[in-house]
Amino acid sequence: MLQTFFGLGQTAELEIILDRPDGKKKLDESSKKDQSLIYYDGETVSGRVNVILKKSSSRLEHQGIKVEFIGQIEMYYDRGNHHEFTSLVKELARPGEMLQNTSYNFEFLNVEKPYETYTGSNVRLRYFLRVTVIRRIYDIVKEMDIIVHTLSSYPDMNNSIKMEVGIEDCLHIEFEYNKCKYHLKDVIVGKIYFLLVRIKIKHMEIAIIKRETTGSGPNTFNENETIAKYEIMDGAPVRGESIPIRVFLAGYDLTPTMRDVNKRFSVRYFLNLVLMDEEDRRYFKQQEITLWRKGEKHLKGMQNRNEPSHLVSGKDGPKGSEAPRTTSQSVQPSGSLDNTDSENDHNHSPMNEGDDEQIRSSIEDSTSE
Amino acid sequence: MTQMEDQEKQLEFALASVQKQGVHMKMCLDKNKLMEALKHASAMLAELRTSLLSPKSYYELFMKVTNELCYLDLYLVEEFERGRKVDDLYQIIQYAGNIVPRLYLLITVGLVYIKTNTNLKRDLLKDLVEMCRGVQHPLRGLFLRHYLLQCSKNVLPDIPDNEETEHPEGTVRDSIDFILMNFAEMNKLWVRMQHQGHSREKERREKEREELKILVGTNLVRLSHLDSITLDKYRKLHKKLIQCSIKVNNPKFEPVQQKFHLLCYPFVMWKQHLQVVLPGILEQIVSCRDAIAQEYLMECIIQVFPDEFHLYTLNVFLKSCCELQPSVNVKTIVILMINRLTIFTFHNSNASEVKLFEVLTEQIANIIQSRDLPLEDTVSLQAAMVGLALKCYPDNLDYVDKSLQTISDTFAKRKIEKISHKNPVSRELMALMKLPIDNYNDLLLVMKLKHFPEIIEYFDYTGRKTIAIYLLQNAVQCRTMIPSVEQTEIVLTMVSPLVKDQPDQPVGEEDPEDFAEEQSLLGRFVHHMKADEPDLQFKILMAEREHFSLGGNKRICYTLPPLVFQAYQLALIYSGKRKEDELWEKKCRKIFQFCHQTILELTKAELAELPLRLFLQGALTISQINFKNYETVAYEFYSQAFTLYEEEISESKCQLAAIILLIGTFEKINCFDEENAEPVRTQCALAASKLLKKPDQCRAVAISSHLFWSAQNNVGQPLQDGKRVMDCLKKCVRITKQCMEVSVQVQLFVELLNYYVYFYERGNNNVSVDILNQLIGQIKKEITGLTANEETEQITKHFENTIAYLQNRIESADTEDSVFKALEGLML
Repeated sequence: MLQTFFGLGQTAELEIILDRPDGKKKLDESSKKDQSLIYYDGETVSGRVNVILKKSSSRLEHQGIKVEFIGQIEMYYDRGNHHEFTSLVKELARPGEMLQNTSYNFEFLNVEKPYETYTGSNVRLRYFLRVTVIRRIYDIVKEMDIIVHTLSSYPDMNNSIKMEVGIEDCLHIEFEYNKCKYHLKDVIVGKIYFLLVRIKIKHMEIAIIKRETTGSGPNTFNENETIAKYEIMDGAPVRGESIPIRVFLAGYDLTPTMRDVNKRFSVRYFLNLVLMDEEDRRYFKQQEITLWRKGEKHLKGMQNRNEPSHLVSGKDGPKGSEAPRTTSQSVQPSGSLDNTDSENDHNHSPMNEGDDEQIRSSIEDSTSE
Repeated sequence: MTQMEDQEKQLEFALASVQKQGVHMKMCLDKNKLMEALKHASAMLAELRTSLLSPKSYYELFMKVTNELCYLDLYLVEEFERGRKVDDLYQIIQYAGNIVPRLYLLITVGLVYIKTNTNLKRDLLKDLVEMCRGVQHPLRGLFLRHYLLQCSKNVLPDIPDNEETEHPEGTVRDSIDFILMNFAEMNKLWVRMQHQGHSREKERREKEREELKILVGTNLVRLSHLDSITLDKYRKLHKKLIQCSIKVNNPKFEPVQQKFHLLCYPFVMWKQHLQVVLPGILEQIVSCRDAIAQEYLMECIIQVFPDEFHLYTLNVFLKSCCELQPSVNVKTIVILMINRLTIFTFHNSNASEVKLFEVLTEQIANIIQSRDLPLEDTVSLQAAMVGLALKCYPDNLDYVDKSLQTISDTFAKRKIEKISHKNPVSRELMALMKLPIDNYNDLLLVMKLKHFPEIIEYFDYTGRKTIAIYLLQNAVQCRTMIPSVEQTEIVLTMVSPLVKDQPDQPVGEEDPEDFAEEQSLLGRFVHHMKADEPDLQFKILMAEREHFSLGGNKRICYTLPPLVFQAYQLALIYSGKRKEDELWEKKCRKIFQFCHQTILELTKAELAELPLRLFLQGALTISQINFKNYETVAYEFYSQAFTLYEEEISESKCQLAAIILLIGTFEKINCFDEENAEPVRTQCALAASKLLKKPDQCRAVAISSHLFWSAQNNVGQPLQDGKRVMDCLKKCVRITKQCMEVSVQVQLFVELLNYYVYFYERGNNNVSVDILNQLIGQIKKEITGLTANEETEQITKHFENTIAYLQNRIESADTEDSVFKALEGLML
């Protein structure tokens, strides 16, 4: 007893080995350090737990062995308080003694994984398996993270974003992005059409901004991060010029748009069109885009998948809880651009329009961003 | 630091950086580290983002960079051809954050794809030219697009587009669209340069633009090198405008577009450019509204495309000329075009199916009307038209006339009456007027131009005179003959500034030498107004005299003498035709009447020597033509001459010359009977002896001795009155003795000795050895006393030669030859 008490007793190492039903191992390409397996919503998580005793001569006494599947959200500012939104437990062994190395199979059948794994600047959403050997004094615990990707099917509605914006008698442009919803390997194609140019523009760029919102009510906290800066024009255009946009998204570190994940955080993306004039004044217009993860082909046929409601589903569209959007997008299918000159097809949002800081202006002249 | 040094320094830095990055890039490529190499390439290309360099320096930098890029291009082509294709390279390079390096890489890589897989050609070319819109900075944009044009040089599809078959590698149509778009964009950038920066730097900007124009023009050159551009393609609008835009949605082509995410939307814009070559270019040129660009590019079109194309697209081209900016020198452009077509049409007879002249006339009229051209430009345009007409339609005088009429109408419309020779209009018009003269080399043809004389009237005095001289010089050089009275009238009216004083003639003396030269020219021309038919010729002479009589005293001395000579010649012609024309005597008489009058006109102009000579010449001519009463007429002429001598010639030198002429002429005339001849002879001798100076008297009297010897009477017998000859010579000896100066005396004696010898040889018995001896002795006596100088040397020589002659004759004299035999007694 004393030996055990001082830790001199038997102890064991735990090993979790996951097996995929389809036998394929898929690793997260983005984080090369811990090469976690990728799972999708509704997929069974199964595998084996190996308990390896450290001293072959003595036995291991335990109060039971269990494996848990946990999904949790961690706020960095509140380390102690983790919110578990999923927690499943399987008992592997009843209390007893173990005399030799033992393996236990486990299976969480068709586990619901409603959210995408996410590591942000203020918040983390993770899924992991935890094996616990319950003992009197201290438990032996082993955790293993898995990566969850939430897939969306091609959105039914994917209009182009088209808007005429400007500062009176100074600059009027019309911009167009071919879609409002892009998958992570997608390409943004668009154009900027200059209707009026009275300032000396030096260059124009598109920035992809990630906005992570945490907390709620008065404690809401926004963190903006510029993921990419992409120059799309050099020099000063004149009236009538049309500048092409083509931005490949695959090369950037992006996640799907997440709205109100478990009422705890959101991750949203904006395209920020910035024009810089020769006096280094910046004029910009932010436009939210929705990013989604496109399913791989072999998964497309998968049935009974729970469609996560916060992702682009096509069925629901933007949820009512969202702030009203300043732009109502054109209802035209993309691709047929021939009729764009009819007045009804696009909106004109004048300068200084906007109701909150996210979208505080159409194109705004400000010296800082 | 001066601006220059600053530039050099900036360039140096940039070049050094390019050099460094270029080396790194090559090293990475050699190690097959493509991604690393691309990073260096991108860094190298970033130097082209500079705004600090002048166009010249930027060009240098551009050359260096593109030179380095060649290595990358070669490497990639080789890798691709070996099958080691890098997936998504076209996409990967587009992650470059800055647009200028990104687009240079895009072009480089895009061309590698095209070279290794021609099926991508069409779509990639469109994508590249479209993406380049991102660079709106004029200098950087121009060079970027220049790079695109340069890289695509050898890959532009040049297959005729057939409506049935699809060519994924593209057809010439795609090349046209590609170049036209690139051209339009480059031109916009080039024009934009003009409007940047401060207005005081306008001059510098224009210089910089001038340096860059070739970049824009290269587009047109590239177009002109596409063999599949046929005339049809060049001039007509594209029929399949709509079908082209449908093609975009053709599923067949989607895979390519999807794979590369090529731009699809701009095809809407492409539609605007889907015009065929010329209309496309012209639209761009007209719409850019920039004079420098318009002038350069219009000239470019003329230079780079084949003349045959121009021939069939003249209307379109010239219509566009109307729409150019007011400050564009349209005249130069149009003239350049006309001149090209002139040469082309001249060498290609099959070009005649186009009514070139008519089309040009109409379009030029439009241009003139729409542009309010300066008058001189209008004129020089017509000059080019005249040039065209002369060269290509030499038989069609109407064309030239039409141009002249246009000018005449224009002047009338603008209420222009006279054009000063100092006015540029006059210069241009003069050049125009000289064209038909030089081309026809035939005054008669020039005269057929109805409006030619009309135009002449618009010149001021100096201008008209210049044309008159030019006309006459041409006629004289080309030996053009004016064969009718009407034509004579026209010519003399055209050259009237030479014929008579002009109302608008400036006051003041003209340069006498110039005047003399001009009038001599006119005098020479008199011989060119000549009909084959004598009666007609006489009418011409009459007409001429009418004109020349108005010329005033200073002119008639040049114009009337040739007229008189012409008349004399005509009389000789009638004389030759005496058997054919029974009225010949009457006509001859009339001619001499005409001459008489004409010469009298000269006397009225206070001239003496000239009419004297003309009278004498007349008398001589008459004496050759044996018409009725000709003796009387000849006598009249001769007596007129004599009267002139007596009354008008007062200077002794002139008198001597005149009396010698009178004597000489009379000696030749053989038509007088004794009744008329004797007084004349006596008068002549008398007149000779009445000369003022003794030596003159001596010489004149000596000459008059011939009148009594060789002169013939009206039956053709020489007079041979030895005694009167001797009287003359004796008188001479007497006069000689009266001379004061010894050397003059000796000289005259020697001359007289020669006379004696002459008459002796001719068989005048009155000359004796004694006389000769006496004379020789006299000479010998005097000659020794002469002081030696040049003059006396000559006299001595003369004498010696005479003696030598005599000796020679005596020695070689045959025994039978009694004449010289008898001289043996001479004391030589």
